[in-house]
Amino acid sequence: MAQVKLEHITKRYEDVTAVDDINLDLQDGEFICLVGPSGCGKSTTMEMVAGLTKPSEGTVHIGDRDVTTLPPKDRGVAMVFQNIALFPHMDVYDNISFGLQLRDYDKEETDRRVEKASDIVQLEGMLDRMPDEMSGGQRQRVAIARAIVREPDVFLMDEPLANLDAKLRVHMRTELQRLHKELDTTIIYVTHDQAEAMTMADRIAVLDAGELQQIDPPLTCYNEPSNLFVAGFIGSPSMNFMSGSITESGLETEYFDLDFDPATVDSVATGQNVTMGIRPEDVYPVETAGALPEPTKRIGATTDVLEPMGDEIFVYLLLGDGEASMDMEGRGAGQLLMSVDPDSDIRGEETIEVVLDRSKIHLFDSSSGEAILHGMPSRQVAGERTGRETGETGGDV
Amino acid sequence: MSSESSDGALARWTQGVIHDDEQRKRLYRALFYIVTVFFLVTTLFPFYWLLVLALTPSRLILGGEWDLPLLRPQGQANWAAFGDVFQQIPFHLYVFNSFVLAIVTTIIVLFIASLAGYVFGRLEFPGRGALMLGILAISYFPPAAFLVPLFDAFTGNAVAVPFLGVELFQAPRLVNTPTAMVLPFSALFLPLAIFILTTFYSQIPDGLEDAARVEGTTRLGALFRVIIPLSAPGVATAAVLTFIAVYNEYFFSSIMALDNQAAQWSPLVGGILSYQSQYTTDFHLMAAASIIGVLPVVILVVVAQERIVSGLTAGALKE
Repeated sequence: MAQVKLEHITKRYEDVTAVDDINLDLQDGEFICLVGPSGCGKSTTMEMVAGLTKPSEGTVHIGDRDVTTLPPKDRGVAMVFQNIALFPHMDVYDNISFGLQLRDYDKEETDRRVEKASDIVQLEGMLDRMPDEMSGGQRQRVAIARAIVREPDVFLMDEPLANLDAKLRVHMRTELQRLHKELDTTIIYVTHDQAEAMTMADRIAVLDAGELQQIDPPLTCYNEPSNLFVAGFIGSPSMNFMSGSITESGLETEYFDLDFDPATVDSVATGQNVTMGIRPEDVYPVETAGALPEPTKRIGATTDVLEPMGDEIFVYLLLGDGEASMDMEGRGAGQLLMSVDPDSDIRGEETIEVVLDRSKIHLFDSSSGEAILHGMPSRQVAGERTGRETGETGGDV
Repeated sequence: MSSESSDGALARWTQGVIHDDEQRKRLYRALFYIVTVFFLVTTLFPFYWLLVLALTPSRLILGGEWDLPLLRPQGQANWAAFGDVFQQIPFHLYVFNSFVLAIVTTIIVLFIASLAGYVFGRLEFPGRGALMLGILAISYFPPAAFLVPLFDAFTGNAVAVPFLGVELFQAPRLVNTPTAMVLPFSALFLPLAIFILTTFYSQIPDGLEDAARVEGTTRLGALFRVIIPLSAPGVATAAVLTFIAVYNEYFFSSIMALDNQAAQWSPLVGGILSYQSQYTTDFHLMAAASIIGVLPVVILVVVAQERIVSGLTAGALKE
């Protein structure tokens, strides 16, 4: 059990910077998820904590030791790998006790610890099996047992569930949370699956292009994303974005205007190009918007494609003349995704009116991508309630 | 292809093979047996000849009165030849010499080639390709090119500065010792072993090595505890090739052992050749000794083959 502290960690390969000046400060016993798209540097960051990769610059502290130059074996870390990485030539017992045998534990102590670890991950009676005789989930348990048997200070998990099927993944997710509760060890968990990060982590660190975008508790990342990248990455399906500009009366987009008083927000100037973001669940058909404290004006739209998920329906709305142009991410400029109740009577090819929940509207600066405000008060109530402003930077910790 | 049929028997048969599955299978099977029998005869016949030669009494061989086709040396089989082999010279000592030289060389080669194979197979560094090419290029040099300087060095001559003649030190006299043979053997057989092991070690997934290192090994520890055991087939191949090559070696050892005597570390082939004296040649003893000398290698290959087949790496890793 220990704190982990990364200071100005940078990793450069010949012509690429994989990790760019990242600072992380993890509390003892914290479960932190590093998320980001492929190639964002999250695995490299973890390898630098493990000692498998040496940082080009910066230091790594585990507990009160500077471990930057120590080899992995002296860092007190244990790791679970994406490809599971059990030693194929050893049975389960030898796999789990590999680290103990290297450290010359006596037979009795080794047996006791292996038994305890295999109990925790429910592997009783399988200790003499070979890895190739086991299913994917069982192998993953062996890998986890191998990690916990040494009682390390820090657990590193590099997409440990990525190779499991969907059902098993959800099951192992809860098991990992239970394990974390039981062991109370600091866990660094790398994943590209934001659902895993949301459900398990105490805090999420969102990385993109080697840079830390935001580090906050899951719901803060969800409700108050610090920039466009985090807003788009966290949440599934992702947030609707609509580009527009600030006028004296408020926000103007190609398809609708929203009134608010730019003067109440510090970092907004008239004429500034901004991107408005709204999550699908914060878009309401007019009929069900009655309970909203601060709905926007009605926006006319045509329903396009419906995706019934069982517990909700995703409705693709076309704004304006109903001609959406698809952008690179497949989300059209004039398109708005709305999530509605499953027993809603919305049909395709229908003209409806929707409103947005003002308190859930996000504004980002289009050029820098930084968040400007979360929650857009209407001009009338602006005096009583200003939007929750964000700070200048999104990346500081 | 065409439907027009000719009348010749060969043409009909050819058409049949092309169009009829059954006929084609028969042809393939026949070809398979022909080729297999050919290889079996060419590899096993020399052994059969050796055996007949060994069992035929010397005077019949010299008189030319012996027949090959059946295992029936005129009169009775002279099984005593296999005992006489050890009476005339201490043949077991020659076998022992070759065995020791082969095992020591194999151990040295495997150890160094493992380290080199790890470096070439698993690490990235500038000049890796050029260095590998250099090692392979050296392995193409004819061994005879090294013979004179090595002999000069191993006979204990003083080492002097070229052209000036200033003596630096007296080199130890290594001829007639195993060192004089193991050193050149190791150098000669290293490149092949490095090449084989590099290929095998580079195929072990990085994740396994990382796992071992996080669990508490050094890079070297990961090499010996994980990478080498998982590359067992490759290691076995390199070991068997090196062992057999050294076991059969005669060129260097005949020169580094100044006299063809067991006490001077003359190898197996030297032993076989010593049944040939200035006046007589005991062909039946040479044949018997050859058979005895081959046996350890046959056993080794059979044992190692099981190892090679046993496929340790089967499917424990999801990639």
